[in-house]
Amino acid sequence: MSWVGKSLRRKEDDRLVRGNGLFADDEQIEGMLHLYILRSPYAHARIRGIDTAAAESLAGVACVLTGADIKEQCDPYMQLGPEPCDKIIDLPLATDKVVFQGEPVAAVAAETAALAMDAGQLIEVDYEMLDAVVDPEQALEDKIVLHEAAGTNRVWHSVFEYGDVDKAFEDAAHVVKIERMHFHRFASTPVENNACVAEWTRQGDVDFLCNNSFIGFAVQLLAPGLRLPMEKIRARTYDIGGSFGVKIWNYVYMALAALASRKCDGRKVKWSETRTEHLLASGHGNERTFLDTEVALDKDGVITGIRSRHIDDCGAYTRYEPLGCVIWAQVLPATYGVRNFRIDFTQTVTNKCPVVPNRGYSRMQHLWFMERVVDICAHELGIPADEMRLKNYVREFPYETPNGCVYDSGDYPMMLEKAKELIGWDEWKKKQAEARKEGRWLGIGIGTTLDSGTNNFGQAQIMNPYLPFSGNSEVCVIRLDFDGSVIVTLGTGPSGQGHETATSQVVADELNIDPAMVTVRTGFDSAWNTFSGHSGTYASQFAVTGLSAVHGACQKLKVEMRQLASFMLEADEDDLEFGVGDEGPQLAVKGTDKAINYWFMSNVVNNNNALLGGNLADVTLNVRHVYRPPFEAPDTEKKFGNLTLTYAAQLHIAVIEIDKNTCRPNILAYAAVDDCGSVINPQIAAGQVHGATAHGIGAALLETFNYDETGNLLTATFSDYCPITSMNIPDIQYGHIESPSPFSYNGAKGMGEGGGAPLHTISAAIQDALHSEGIIVNESHHSAPKVFERVNAPNREKVVSVESR
Amino acid sequence: MYPAPFDYHRANSVDEAIGMLSDIGEGARVMAGGQSLLPVLKMRFDELTDIVDIGRIPDLNQIEENGNGVSIGALTTHSCIAASALAGSVPILLDCASGIADVQVRSRGTIGGSVASGDPSCDWPALLHTLDAEIQCQGPNGTRTLDINGFVEDLYQTALQPSEIITGIRFKRPGAGSGGAYCAFKRCAPAYPTTSVGVQLTITDGQVESARVALGSSGLTPIRAQQAEAELEGQSLGAGQIGRAADAAVAASDPVDDQRGSADFKRQLIAHLTKRAIGIAERRASGEQVVNSHEYY
Repeated sequence: MSWVGKSLRRKEDDRLVRGNGLFADDEQIEGMLHLYILRSPYAHARIRGIDTAAAESLAGVACVLTGADIKEQCDPYMQLGPEPCDKIIDLPLATDKVVFQGEPVAAVAAETAALAMDAGQLIEVDYEMLDAVVDPEQALEDKIVLHEAAGTNRVWHSVFEYGDVDKAFEDAAHVVKIERMHFHRFASTPVENNACVAEWTRQGDVDFLCNNSFIGFAVQLLAPGLRLPMEKIRARTYDIGGSFGVKIWNYVYMALAALASRKCDGRKVKWSETRTEHLLASGHGNERTFLDTEVALDKDGVITGIRSRHIDDCGAYTRYEPLGCVIWAQVLPATYGVRNFRIDFTQTVTNKCPVVPNRGYSRMQHLWFMERVVDICAHELGIPADEMRLKNYVREFPYETPNGCVYDSGDYPMMLEKAKELIGWDEWKKKQAEARKEGRWLGIGIGTTLDSGTNNFGQAQIMNPYLPFSGNSEVCVIRLDFDGSVIVTLGTGPSGQGHETATSQVVADELNIDPAMVTVRTGFDSAWNTFSGHSGTYASQFAVTGLSAVHGACQKLKVEMRQLASFMLEADEDDLEFGVGDEGPQLAVKGTDKAINYWFMSNVVNNNNALLGGNLADVTLNVRHVYRPPFEAPDTEKKFGNLTLTYAAQLHIAVIEIDKNTCRPNILAYAAVDDCGSVINPQIAAGQVHGATAHGIGAALLETFNYDETGNLLTATFSDYCPITSMNIPDIQYGHIESPSPFSYNGAKGMGEGGGAPLHTISAAIQDALHSEGIIVNESHHSAPKVFERVNAPNREKVVSVESR
Repeated sequence: MYPAPFDYHRANSVDEAIGMLSDIGEGARVMAGGQSLLPVLKMRFDELTDIVDIGRIPDLNQIEENGNGVSIGALTTHSCIAASALAGSVPILLDCASGIADVQVRSRGTIGGSVASGDPSCDWPALLHTLDAEIQCQGPNGTRTLDINGFVEDLYQTALQPSEIITGIRFKRPGAGSGGAYCAFKRCAPAYPTTSVGVQLTITDGQVESARVALGSSGLTPIRAQQAEAELEGQSLGAGQIGRAADAAVAASDPVDDQRGSADFKRQLIAHLTKRAIGIAERRASGEQVVNSHEYY
């Protein structure tokens, strides 16, 4: 009997669908205060003074925090980047200057949330407005500098060069040049906003109930920021309503709640973000511009070299950045066998919301770039889109990329075949030919993408050689409880991924019991869960990193159980087998009725240990396992090394007709094929694919953060930002293949992020529909008004050129 | 999201509501379903001193038909209208009521509130132009009836006097040979339309006897496109007439660039929606059942 691979109903759902989940904002405690954060209406301004007198005198206000408190009590958050990032001063409140609209300038704790907001409105901030810079290329001119101590907006720059690029261009039969491409700014908008309840106790400890999704990391940044030793900070989570990476960095706001509690003599303080605050000042996704791209191809259309200049816009602060300047290199050649690259990569700050990891973080942008390159070359050289992919796909695995990453397994041609079958490729090709005769704009687009999971933190050293991070790890503790039940605690908590279910399936298989007999503790508590500095739910890694820890812990527990049972049953360890008998889960001597059940094993160790033999002193039936993927530190000079352990793939095909009247891209058919190796729980995997597809379609067609030239965000409500709803999601034809990973014990690959496949696919379909109209799709956002603009100003002449020899 | 403090008054009758509004004076605002007002208050775009809640006044949520006269109480919700027998037989009402925002908004929002908001993005004020509706109002000086034409005077500004409230909407049930359609182009459910067009046609012996063309989200107020109507009236419908009507509708519009799209984009949409609405209205006028829903992208 194997539970892994079955669509076991999610254990979490019972409480969640009944409304019995516990989210940070659900916490209600007598006497708790509520925090309101006053935010800058300006994108760039000097703070000349703050008058809090009226707010402080309002009845029910417990305290007001301003930059003055912060200067006294905080140190700037540690910067991950080298010079000039290390000069950037990032604090929980702006002290002298604000650098994006929505940046916190003061905070009020009061008896009710409404009162706190009322008081906040009474705070008078004297701003001296400064010119803002929102365009990344203008920002790089440094005429307006955000962080004066850093002296420049250019926060990171390096060249990634592999192979012999110049020779590839010398030998090329065709060179395709693409002047400019742009990947737009959007975010993942989890259904639950950021929230926490903080208490600064009289003992000087800080306790958080929060929804941070990477506590192992957050505590390392929070503690020095608050001038506390790490062990003074306890952070707990229970249920988290989606994170997609955005909640990694909400420690910035957690600090404010803690400081308010401290100022209010340790009263608990709740902070709960509104949707507009979330859209304005939580964490956007990276915006990237690709300039002067040149693609070398041989006479058959095989791409032999790419050189390009990439500018990443990380918003006002380098919070998780400049890590994104390296993380894209996990998927340098995308799914293609290109060997020669020169990517000149620059990151700049601008007067916009800081970016933080968002589903598909940094790789999605690069994969979109690569997909556009392949797709534009196909259209320009007249090669059918499917053939172009087949000419260029990586086919042999494991495959070492030019920068030393190892693609573990895969079969992209088979995924293409499967997706074509699902969508009815041949039939659509015929319909397309007919539609074109009628002058209709119908396009069929392919998007192939990767979801690289279980990252090697050593890549951070490519960004900054002095960073003390490398490898990866996750932790699991498993024990037999007094009543014989199996209790598992993890080094991280989920934010919707179904950790409790997947973990139960693995444990059930390993111990040969029913998943219902396994209890996986919900949520996370830094005081009780053991965890590592890598522990967290991010970067598509639970199925491999997390479950490898669970699997390893099971092996250690089984060793102890066998030792114990062998002694108690006076049998050879090799003759024992795990199973479920009349008295529940047990270890039995094969072919006999001699058995010891889990309860008795636990009883012997915990309550009845006079029965134990002396050589079993180390048996505790409470074991901890740390899984460490076999990573080596990369060569930071050459920017070479294996940056991720597994590479899940997705291949989507979309058929889109653009309504000539409304310019609305109408999805007529959509297929999504997933390959995440061996699947732990097919229903959860399918759910992730559907979720990622919805996110990507939303980004491609609806969702965009638009700023005006003064740094004013124009899409700060859901009515303007327009997140995708069921009204806008087509039926998705879903399929999957399984290429087990040779690098994970279970053959699984992390797959939660999805690689932004719909962005690539929809761009390709629109390209296919509009190429004959003289349009090169060089942007990632395709709302109807955008398409209208595009068809009224064909750009092909300006954007692309082909030299053939 | 918390509004600034205000005093709350619940009126149990229209007279009581008018009395409260008169007593409080400036600073008082009427709340019916709250679907326009509450978001504005929660964002603190508007801070007022008092809210007079008329939402529970009895008998203002009835749909009544008397002969060919129709009267819809001001507090009738979009959902109730969508589910009514009236909407079943006057499809332009169903087009409008069933497509407003999302189900939560439709369950709370009212037709009177939509008209009183003076918001050019609201669907009802535009649509009611196609039915030559009258707005029944009551204030300190008694009741009066205003034409929907000109009722919305400017952005968020209506002909309502201080302390005056809308009690109902009246119009004549379109007769045999009359058909209408309301088409909106929207990004997604919670968003206002990018633009919308309502058309009502009465066709006798293949000739348009009367036409109404009204535009929503196309300027500072809902706009009745009278030149477009003139292009249709007295004509038998063909591509030429419809095209000229669409051009006239575009000429009557006054859209601006915003997050929903550029003015040029909206003009193209208005032309398209006008043609589409005329087409559906024509088919409906001939007795055909046509399912019409708003377009989403």
